[in-house]
Amino acid sequence: MDTSSPSAFVNGALLRRYIGQKVRTVIQVIGSDTGSVVGKSTDDLQIVVRGSSPPNPLTTYLEVIGIAESDNSIRAETWTNFGNSFDPQNFNELCKLANGEFKHMFI
Amino acid sequence: MAVDLTTGAINKMLNGEVASEADMTPVLQVTELKLIQSKRPNQEAINRYKVSLSDGILSQQGMLGTSLNVLVTSGNIQLGSILRVTQFVCNLIQNRRIVIISNLEIIVEKCNIIGGTHVQAGMPNEPGQQLGGGAGYVNTQSNGGYEQQQARRTDLNGGRYGVSANSPQPQVVVHNSSDAGRYGVSANLPQPQVVHNNPDAGRYGVSANLPQPRVVHNTSDAGRYGVPATSPQPQVSQRYGTGSGYPETSPSIRPYGSAIAGYGGSGLEQARAPATTAYSRPVQSAYQPQSPPMYVNRGPVARNEAPPRITPVAALNPYQGRWTIRVRVTCKGELRRFSNPRGEGKLFNFDLLDSDGGEIRVTCFNDVVDKFFDQIVVGNVYLISRGSLRPAQKNYNHLHNDYEIHLDSASTIQQCQDDATIPRYQFHFRNIGDIENMESNSITDLIGIVSSISPTGSIMRKTGTEVQKRALQLKDMSGRSVELTMWGNFCNAEGQKLQNLCDSGVFPVLAVKAGRISEFNGKQVSTIGSSQFFIEPDFPEARELKDWYEREGKNAHFTSISREFIGAGRQEVRKVITQIKDEKLGTSEKPDWITVCATISFMKVENFCYTACPNMNGDRPCSKKVTNNGDGTWRCEKCDKCVDECDYRYILQIQLQDHTGLTWATAFQEAGEEIMGISAKDLYYVKYEHQEEEKFEDIIRSVTFSKYIFKLKIKEETYSDEQRVKATVVRAEKLTYSSDTRFMLEAMDKLRTGDANSLPVKTESSNYRSDAFNSGIGTSGIGETASVDARREFELPAANQVGQYGNQYSSGARPVSGMISCNACGSNGHVSANCPSLMSEPQGEYTQGRYTGGGMPRQHVGGY
Repeated sequence: MDTSSPSAFVNGALLRRYIGQKVRTVIQVIGSDTGSVVGKSTDDLQIVVRGSSPPNPLTTYLEVIGIAESDNSIRAETWTNFGNSFDPQNFNELCKLANGEFKHMFI
Repeated sequence: MAVDLTTGAINKMLNGEVASEADMTPVLQVTELKLIQSKRPNQEAINRYKVSLSDGILSQQGMLGTSLNVLVTSGNIQLGSILRVTQFVCNLIQNRRIVIISNLEIIVEKCNIIGGTHVQAGMPNEPGQQLGGGAGYVNTQSNGGYEQQQARRTDLNGGRYGVSANSPQPQVVVHNSSDAGRYGVSANLPQPQVVHNNPDAGRYGVSANLPQPRVVHNTSDAGRYGVPATSPQPQVSQRYGTGSGYPETSPSIRPYGSAIAGYGGSGLEQARAPATTAYSRPVQSAYQPQSPPMYVNRGPVARNEAPPRITPVAALNPYQGRWTIRVRVTCKGELRRFSNPRGEGKLFNFDLLDSDGGEIRVTCFNDVVDKFFDQIVVGNVYLISRGSLRPAQKNYNHLHNDYEIHLDSASTIQQCQDDATIPRYQFHFRNIGDIENMESNSITDLIGIVSSISPTGSIMRKTGTEVQKRALQLKDMSGRSVELTMWGNFCNAEGQKLQNLCDSGVFPVLAVKAGRISEFNGKQVSTIGSSQFFIEPDFPEARELKDWYEREGKNAHFTSISREFIGAGRQEVRKVITQIKDEKLGTSEKPDWITVCATISFMKVENFCYTACPNMNGDRPCSKKVTNNGDGTWRCEKCDKCVDECDYRYILQIQLQDHTGLTWATAFQEAGEEIMGISAKDLYYVKYEHQEEEKFEDIIRSVTFSKYIFKLKIKEETYSDEQRVKATVVRAEKLTYSSDTRFMLEAMDKLRTGDANSLPVKTESSNYRSDAFNSGIGTSGIGETASVDARREFELPAANQVGQYGNQYSSGARPVSGMISCNACGSNGHVSANCPSLMSEPQGEYTQGRYTGGGMPRQHVGGY
């Protein structure tokens, strides 16, 4: 497993902490364009993901791993369809825990 | 038609005064009739009838001429017939007088035996058997008529004519047939008294010195007797029903007086002509002076106006002899039918209360039911006498009495005036607070305010039938509240009433008689078959309660001694597998129910199912293992039937593993299907019928290493001296990560907030109790306590099926620093399930387990 460039689990609010760093998150797709996907983060904030090859077709939920460009955009390197059923709440809690209490267990 | 026997005739015949018809043609009665076959060498067997003729005092042997045989065979002459002997000779043969009768006139064909059966001394059959002889006599003399009489008599007499204290019928018969016998047997009356009184009374041999009233009494009886047999019965009862209803003039003669009257009467009631005034009078005249020593005056019954001696109910015991009680019926049970090895029957019971507050239950069986069922009305006061006392069956009889009364056909129940001294009901109320300390399964009365009532629900019983159930909360002055569960009919009738009252804002007082305390989520009270509800009763306690409630109760805080029932009734207790061992789950009396999130790490593929009986037992299929009859049919032991197509039911042995440890568990049909995703039958076919090994393997493979939430029932069981903790999968749900995650988050929260127990430890479910449906008396195998298994988890398919199946599990192997050590043999490298030392263990000992309805796996669990 390649642990050279770990990515932090973020949701909308936590994204700003990792600007310029590799992050990963799951967003609910709201709209897509050529080259960008607009989605809602698990804590209901809007995030724009730019990148070269979003998967086609897109499922409701999408995981993106990439560099955080600003507090609401990510330049994605990896896109993964997460399907249509996903529990955003759990993910949200995960993000919070991963960056809070259990940060030491992650990166 | 009154027929007089020629008294004294026999005497004369015997002493030679009368030798033939020239002297007299007496009217005599046949008291014995026997066929004698005499064989002569050169002739065929000749039938002759030997008779005994009586004149009411004495009797004599005689032979009927062969020409008269036809009369006997045609029934014209029978036992009891009155004949006028028109042609006869008295001979002295071998020192015996024998009358040879050549011709006679039949006066009455059918008649009751009249008079004493004194047999001439020296007669072979009755040497000094005077009294006892009576008994003997009777027996030989019984005929249909007598039996009938006997039956009648018992009905009539019911207990009134206790010839002997508790005389069984045969004695009665005795009495019936001959007065001498009658009197003699019952009361040691010296025969002479009986017999030799005045000639008039000669027939009965009773003294005619009975006071007139008696006579009068009897005469009317006599009149009664003259009537065709059918009527006397009611008359008798009525007559004797006057006053206190007991037909005894004075205690001392009680039995006899009545005996006489009774016998005189009932004995003769069937009689046609002969049973008449002539007899009755003398009959009654007997016994007055003689009070039979056996009849110590106990309890009952003076005739006419004398009040009966009433025994208090609390003093009743089996050794008492005759007794009478005046009681009110407080509760009448339903008519119940049962069948036991002796056959079918029916019974009913009712509870009695007397003025001292003594309570006792009465049971009637079969015929007695018919007799009394309609007569008993709740709330009425009756005089009851002549029943037998038996020890009370505490299982069904919750009254405070060690005995219960069993009525028989000799018993009597007489309605009488309402007696205000007898209370309507008797309660032993307890506070709800006391109930908490009382034992489970004990019966109590209680009274409280209904604070809430929930709608009726219905529950499936183990037998598959549905039952109605309704709960309500009762509060009382002890500051406690308790849940009262109503079962069956109570739900609808009383339940509805209470509901209406509660809805309208009134909080009614409810008194419950005979509620059972059960332990089910704390203490609860439930109704049983013999429970009674009294809504807004008029007792002082009720009024007190109401007042108190108005004042403080409404607002007071109540601690419930019945903990809340949560939905499915069992709190989900999430545990990890090592906890099973660590916490010694299953070792207590009741099984433990837990939930684990685990993966199936291994599954035994041999014998994953067994052939089961498909017969429906109520709502559920029997499911017992069926054996192959060889010809394609399957036989079920339990249902005792053969079926062509058997069910296939899962009996999966799977190994569950989570991050802490591993355990074996067995999954039966429902859980099995959930896990496998395919029905047992299909899987069976895939493997054995179609021989699609690959497909089979695929299926198996797909199942293993899938994660499920398992609800397990853990229980320790004994297999031939060994205790093993067994786990049964009650339910298997595929793990949904999302819900599981939530669970985890909650758990973490709890941990974080520092809850003492992050995971709730003990489930209430282990307190599942069978609220026994006590439908009353279950004597003679009625099998009434149909336990209501209040398990909500009806996916406990084999609720009691934690039978023994081939292997021993649950000895988890605990990985210790990476090494797996076998619990069974202690060596490393394998788990107990794979343990070589166990492989060679004879499996037989396990396979004979008790399969309580779960069916047997049809295998021996062999090697892996």
